[in-house]
Amino acid sequence: MNPTIQRSDDPTSPRLCSRCILPETFPNIKFDAEGVCNHCRQEESALAKAPAKKADYRRKLDDLIASIKGKAPSYDAIMAYSGGKDSSYTLKLLRERYDLRVLALTFDNHFVSPTAFDNIRAVTDALGADHISFSPPWPLMKSLFRITARGDIFSAATLLRASSMCTACIAFVKSLTVKMAIEMSIPLSAFGWSPGQAPIQSAIMKTNASLIRQNQKALISSLPDTMQAQVKSYFIPEIYYDLYRDRFPTNVHPLAFFDYDEEKIKIELESIGWRAPTNTDTNSTNCLLNAYANQVHLERLRFHPYVWEIANMVRQGVMPRAEGIEKIYSPQNSEQVEYARKKLEL
Amino acid sequence: MEEIKKQITEFIATNFLFDESITLSVEDSLLETGVIDSTGVLELVAFIEETYGIKIEDEEIVPENLDSINNIALYISQKLSQVSAGQAAN
Repeated sequence: MNPTIQRSDDPTSPRLCSRCILPETFPNIKFDAEGVCNHCRQEESALAKAPAKKADYRRKLDDLIASIKGKAPSYDAIMAYSGGKDSSYTLKLLRERYDLRVLALTFDNHFVSPTAFDNIRAVTDALGADHISFSPPWPLMKSLFRITARGDIFSAATLLRASSMCTACIAFVKSLTVKMAIEMSIPLSAFGWSPGQAPIQSAIMKTNASLIRQNQKALISSLPDTMQAQVKSYFIPEIYYDLYRDRFPTNVHPLAFFDYDEEKIKIELESIGWRAPTNTDTNSTNCLLNAYANQVHLERLRFHPYVWEIANMVRQGVMPRAEGIEKIYSPQNSEQVEYARKKLEL
Repeated sequence: MEEIKKQITEFIATNFLFDESITLSVEDSLLETGVIDSTGVLELVAFIEETYGIKIEDEEIVPENLDSINNIALYISQKLSQVSAGQAAN
């Protein structure tokens, strides 16, 4: 044990990297003599170049938008819109900074907080964005969440960044957003990933049909046989890869390269009617399943499913380390955990 | 080429190979074996760009280039050769 590695206040809690917040329980982590983890060391050179890279991506987005704006039949962008803080802010950016015609798409997983729905209405009204909500039948979502609550059916690499339940839900969100972009000839598909959620290299990227196809295949095959047929229609049909090859959109997640300050974002959003929900966990501003999903992941894998994302944000300097520790190492709210457990009859 | 394979294998082992039941050979598909997912591919791209000083274009992020250690090493070698040839021409 390295004496320089910090522990949080609870003596039973794991040792943490002295720079980010990754714990000793994170798979394959190594700490050096200063208590700094191998992920922090690996990122040092990339972080030094980050400001220039972010400026470059902002220019790249300006150029991309100039080349597509107003040319598609109905919308310039489709936005995967959860009603949470990050996707609300991304929608605001697309409407106010770029004046794009945006279709906001909400995937209703049957656990969306009522406050999030209020926020969706307030924000889309204030920004003048069209909105649609997509909801698969509850029995299907219930089965999917029960399966993912009972076992980690996805790859170990995927589970580093998200819980099993979140991974299942996000797979629907990503597929439906791209699928709808293809069907409606929308050139941009936008996501509100935080700066810690996905690498900047993917922040502006033409969706790659062969990569999506292979990833989708791996994801669907992770599900039990009985469920594979039921979920197939929510994913991109095989025929689209050839028939609509030219319609695959460019994915953008601008929060990777715009200034990101949670408090400032909340203040800006409150000015257009968004309110922070009081019944979600510390890592979500829209989902009532998240606390339970986190709890299950923690019990099974011994690290928090958001720790990779939050550690990245601490490393990038967009979130204070103490705030990151608070978000990750506070116990899950037992009422929220119980709410989801009961709804799923587990 | 062997040195590139070694570096890539080490990066994958450190960052993605957590399932002890998986024994990875240099020809195995990283996506189909579940070693990496789509976000993992992008992290791999970031690592390659940073380590070898090359730019990977969006259309080059395809399984043919990045889905096995062999393919990755071959792809990087070809990109490095292009860079060298370009520098020699200038």
